[in-house]
Amino acid sequence: MISVRDLWKVYGPRAQRIVGAAEADLPRGDLQARFGNVVAMRDISLDVAPGEVFVVMGLSGSGKSTLIRCITRLIEPTSGTVLVDGADVTAAGKDELLQIRRHKVSMVFQHFGLLPHRTLLDNVAFGLELRGVGKAERRERAGGVLELVGLPSMGDYKPHQLSGGQQQRVGLARALATNPDIMLFDEPFSALDPLIRREMQDEIVRLRREVSKTMMFITHDLSEALRLGDRIAIMRDGRFVQVGTPAEVVMEPADEYVANFVRDVPRSHVVPVDSVMGPASEGPFAGEVESGSKVREAVGLVAHSDLPVRVVSGGRTVGTLDRVGVLSVIATEES
Amino acid sequence: MSLAAPVMSSSVESLPTHESDAVRRDRMRRRNGSLAVFAVLAALAVVFLREVPSWMDSGIQRWAQDRYKWSITNRQTSPVFRWLFNPLTDFLTWSVEHTETLLLDLRWPGVVALIAAIGWRTGGVQAALAGAGAMVGVGVIADFDPAMRTLAIMTVSVVIALVIGIPLGVLSARSDRLERVLRVVLDTAQVLPIFVYFSPVQLFFGLKFAPAVVVTVVYALPPAVRLTNLGLRQVPVVANEVGHSFGATSLQQLFKVQLPLAKNTILLGLNQVIMMAFAIVVLASLLGTGDLGQSVLAGLQKQHVGQAFAAGMGIVLMAVALDRVSTGRPERPLSRQNRLPAVPRNWITPISVAAVALVVVLANAFDWRRFPSSLTYDISSPIDSAVDWVQRNLRKDVPIIGGTQAISDFLVIRVLNPMKEFLLWLPWLVIVVGIAFIGWLSRGWRLAATIAVCLLLIATMGTIPGGGGQIQMWDHAMDTLSQVLVAIALSVLIAFPLGVWAGRSDAVHRVLRPFLDIAQVLPQFVYLIPVVFLFSIGRAAGVVACVVYAVPPCIRLTALGMREVPTSPREAAISFGATGGQEMRRVQLPLARKAILLGINQTLLMVLATVIIAALVGAGALGLVSYEATSKPNLKFGQGVAGGLSIVLLAIMLDRLTQAWGTRPNREEKQSR
Ligand SMILES: Nc1ncnc2c1ncn2[C@@H]1O[C@H](COP(=O)(O)OP(=O)(O)O)[C@@H](O)[C@H]1O
Ligand SMILES: [Mg+2]
Repeated sequence: MISVRDLWKVYGPRAQRIVGAAEADLPRGDLQARFGNVVAMRDISLDVAPGEVFVVMGLSGSGKSTLIRCITRLIEPTSGTVLVDGADVTAAGKDELLQIRRHKVSMVFQHFGLLPHRTLLDNVAFGLELRGVGKAERRERAGGVLELVGLPSMGDYKPHQLSGGQQQRVGLARALATNPDIMLFDEPFSALDPLIRREMQDEIVRLRREVSKTMMFITHDLSEALRLGDRIAIMRDGRFVQVGTPAEVVMEPADEYVANFVRDVPRSHVVPVDSVMGPASEGPFAGEVESGSKVREAVGLVAHSDLPVRVVSGGRTVGTLDRVGVLSVIATEES
Repeated sequence: MSLAAPVMSSSVESLPTHESDAVRRDRMRRRNGSLAVFAVLAALAVVFLREVPSWMDSGIQRWAQDRYKWSITNRQTSPVFRWLFNPLTDFLTWSVEHTETLLLDLRWPGVVALIAAIGWRTGGVQAALAGAGAMVGVGVIADFDPAMRTLAIMTVSVVIALVIGIPLGVLSARSDRLERVLRVVLDTAQVLPIFVYFSPVQLFFGLKFAPAVVVTVVYALPPAVRLTNLGLRQVPVVANEVGHSFGATSLQQLFKVQLPLAKNTILLGLNQVIMMAFAIVVLASLLGTGDLGQSVLAGLQKQHVGQAFAAGMGIVLMAVALDRVSTGRPERPLSRQNRLPAVPRNWITPISVAAVALVVVLANAFDWRRFPSSLTYDISSPIDSAVDWVQRNLRKDVPIIGGTQAISDFLVIRVLNPMKEFLLWLPWLVIVVGIAFIGWLSRGWRLAATIAVCLLLIATMGTIPGGGGQIQMWDHAMDTLSQVLVAIALSVLIAFPLGVWAGRSDAVHRVLRPFLDIAQVLPQFVYLIPVVFLFSIGRAAGVVACVVYAVPPCIRLTALGMREVPTSPREAAISFGATGGQEMRRVQLPLARKAILLGINQTLLMVLATVIIAALVGAGALGLVSYEATSKPNLKFGQGVAGGLSIVLLAIMLDRLTQAWGTRPNREEKQSR
C-alpha cells in the first residue's frame, strides 16, 4: 500500500550532493558547520501492506515527522521514491498530488490542527469541501463520522470548547471523513494525558476492526507502539535501526540502542500466546484466549486454576497453554 | 563607552591582552582621525565663506517649475496624463463626489443609522450605541455637511488602501524578499512629513479630492500591508499543513485556511488604516478639499481656536465612531458565549438593512436635510472666550512659571534664536564635515558619506525670496534643524526620567499607561489646537507642539526598553549587594541602552514631522516653504519641490545617524570581529 525506497531528506544548500556521499556520515554538528546541511532522514526503505499498522518510533528529532510528511510530500524529499497504492508520489505532477491527498491519504496531527474558525462539523467536512462536495452532502457525511468517533450532536461547537481528547477525536473524524485507504498519524496522542491517551488508543484498535485502513503511526511512546503496531520501526538519527514485530523488537533487539529502549518491557506483554502454546487437546480448560493475543492475557486464568487455557482462532481450538508455558515467558523478564 | 558594566567585566578579565590591544588601537585611530578632521575643518572654515556659494545652486527649482508649466500646458495631450493620471484623477474625484452625495442623500439620520447598523453587526449593541452617539456628537458640535465630505474622502482612501494593501500583504507574506522591500519603502514613505508629498501629487493629480486621497493612501496603506502580512505569517504551521495534507490548492489554502485565521489581525489593520486616514485627511485638506479638516487648519492659522476646536472635535468624534464600529468584538469568553444574544445573529443584517432604509425614507420624506439647529451646540464661543481669558491672565505674571508669553519668549529668545543663529553662523561646510564626522565616529565611512551627501545636496537647493531678499534653502534647513534639536532635547529631558521611572516602578507605569495609550492614537493636528490655545502661534508654539507630541512615545519606548531587560542579571547585581541605584546605573540602563536609543530615533522622526507641520502655526522654515507652494504653484512650485526634497534629505540624515547610535556595536561585538 505504501512503498518507500531509499528516501532521503537533507536540509540546507545543495542538499543533493550530500545524499549517499561520505559527508552524510559526518557528525551532525560538523556537517552543519562545514556545509550548512542537516540530514533529517537517510536511506529509508519500507513497505506497509494493506490493512497493516506500521508504527515508527524514535526520540524527538530522530526524523519521524519528516518521514511521514514525505509520504504525501508535505515535505519535499531530497531523493528516493514513494509509492502510494501503486502511484508514484515523488514523480506526481501538481494535480495528481492533489488527487492523492484528497482521496487516498489523510493525516492526523500532533496538536490536532483543527481550524479554530470552523465548527466541528465544518472541520470534519474540510477535506470533502476541498474536493468540491456540496454543502448538504458533506455535512451529512461529516455528521455521520462525528458520531462514529463518539461526538454525536456536537457539530455546532467550536474547537476551543472541547477538551484535548475530544479535539483529537475531531481530528480523527476529519481524517476519516474523506474515506481514505491510508491514514497517517503524527504523534496524535502525545499531547494528551495518559488516561485519555489510553482511551484514544482503544479507539484506534476499535477503528481497525470496524473500518479496515492502512495506517502509518508515529509515536515516541514505546507502550503505544507495542499496543498498536503490527510492525514497528525504530528510528534514530534519521535512519531505521530495526524493523520488526513487537515481539521481535523486544525479544531480539538489533543493537544496544534498541535493547536499552525495550529493556523494561515485560515479555509477556509482547509475546503472542501462539509462540509458546502446546498442541490442541480436549478440555477441560480454565478459559480461552484469542490466537494472537499476548501471553499476559492468560496469566490471570492459569493463576487461579491448575487447568490449561485454550487458544482459539475463529471459534476453533488451535492449541493449549498451561502454567509452565506462561511462566517460561515471565521468567525471562528478570534478566 | 563608560557603559561597560560590571556584568561584562568577567569577559573583559578573561581576555586581558586582546582587550587592551583593541582599546589602544581604537583610541589611536580616533585620536588621529579627530586631529585630521579638525585640521580639515579649520582649513575649510578659513577658505570658504559662511554662505553656501551661489555656484552650488543646481537649478532644481527652475527645472521643477518648468516641469509644472509643461504639465499644465500638456495635461490634455501628453499620453502619461491622458492615459494614466487624468483617468485616475477623474476616478478618484468621481468616487469622492459620489460617496459624498450618497452620504448627504442618506440625510444625517440615515448616516447615524448606518453607523449604528455596522456597529451592531461587528460589535453588538454597545458598539452600535457608541458609534451612533459619537456620530450625533459630530452634528451637535461641528457642521454635519463638511463632515460628510471628510467622511467621503476618508472612506474612499480607506477602501483604496485596503484594495491595494491586502493583496500586497498577501504577497509579502509569501516572499521574504518582497516583505523586506515593502517594509523599507512603506516605512520610509510613512515617516516623511506630509508636506513633502504635496508638490508631486499636485503635479500629477492637480488639486482638491484626487491628490488628497492619494496622500492619505500613502499613509493609510502601511498598516493594511503590515497587518495582513503579519496575520498570514502568524498562521500556525500545523494549520498550513492541514490544508495541504487534505489537498488544498493554493487559492483554497488562502481563502479557507489562512485568511480566516488571519481575520482578527487584518481587522486590527483595518482599524489602524481608518485611524491613520483620519489623522492625515485633516492635513490633506490643505490641498483644497473644503471639508471639516480645512476648517481646523484655517482656524489654527487665523488663531480662531474655537473654530479649530469645534471642527477638530467633529473629526475626532467621527474617528471615535468609526473606531467603535470597526474594532469588532473581541473573542467572547465561553461563559458569555453560551448566553443567547437578544437577536439571532443571522437576523441582524436584514433587520439593520430594513431599519436603515426606513430611516432614510423617513428622513427624505420629511426633508431632514440639515442637522437640526436646536440640537447644535456652539462650542467655539466658550472656547474663544477661554482663549481671551488665557491671553489676558496667563500670558504674564503667573507666579513661578511666569506665564505663556514668558515661556514662549524664553524659548524663542534664549533657546531657539541662539541655536539657529549658531547654526547659521557656522560656516556651512563646517556643519557638513562636522556632522559627517559624528557619523564617522558612530559608524564609519559609509555613514559619514551618506550624511555628507545629504547635506551637500541640501546646499544645492538654491535660494528663495524672503525677508526682502533671497534666502538660502540651506538657511531654512538650519532653521528647521535648530527647531528639531531644541524639541528633541526638551522631549528627552522630560521623557527620559519619566520613562526610566516608569520602567522601574509598576505603579508609575500603571498611572502613565492610559495617557500614553491615548496619546498614541491622537493625530498630530489634535496637538496643535491646545498649543495654539495657550501659546498663540509662532516658533515657540511649534516647538511646544513637537514636545507634547514626542514626549509620550519617548516615555513609552524608554519604559519599554527598561522593562525588557531580563531579570536575571538584575537579580544577580542585587544579590551581590548592589543598591537600587547602582543596579539601575550599572545593569539596567546599560542593558536597555540600545532599546532606548532606538526609541529616541523613532521619536526624532516624529519630531521632524511635527516641526514641519508646525509651519501651520507659524514655525516657518522648510515646512512653510513646502506647503506654501501648494496655493501658488504657478509661482512657487519649484520652491515647494526643493523644500520637500530638503526635508527628505534632512530626515534621511537624522534617521541614519540616530539609528547608528541605537545599533552601534558595543565593545564585545567589535572585539569578536
Ligand atoms: N527546516 C529545517 N531545517 C533544518 N533542519 C530541520 C528542519 N526541519 C527539521 N529539521 C531537523 O530534522 C530533524 C528531524 O526532525 P523531525 O522529523 O521533526 O523529528 P521528529 O518528528 O522525530 O521529532 C531534526 O533534527 C530537526 O532539527
Ligand atoms: Mg515530530
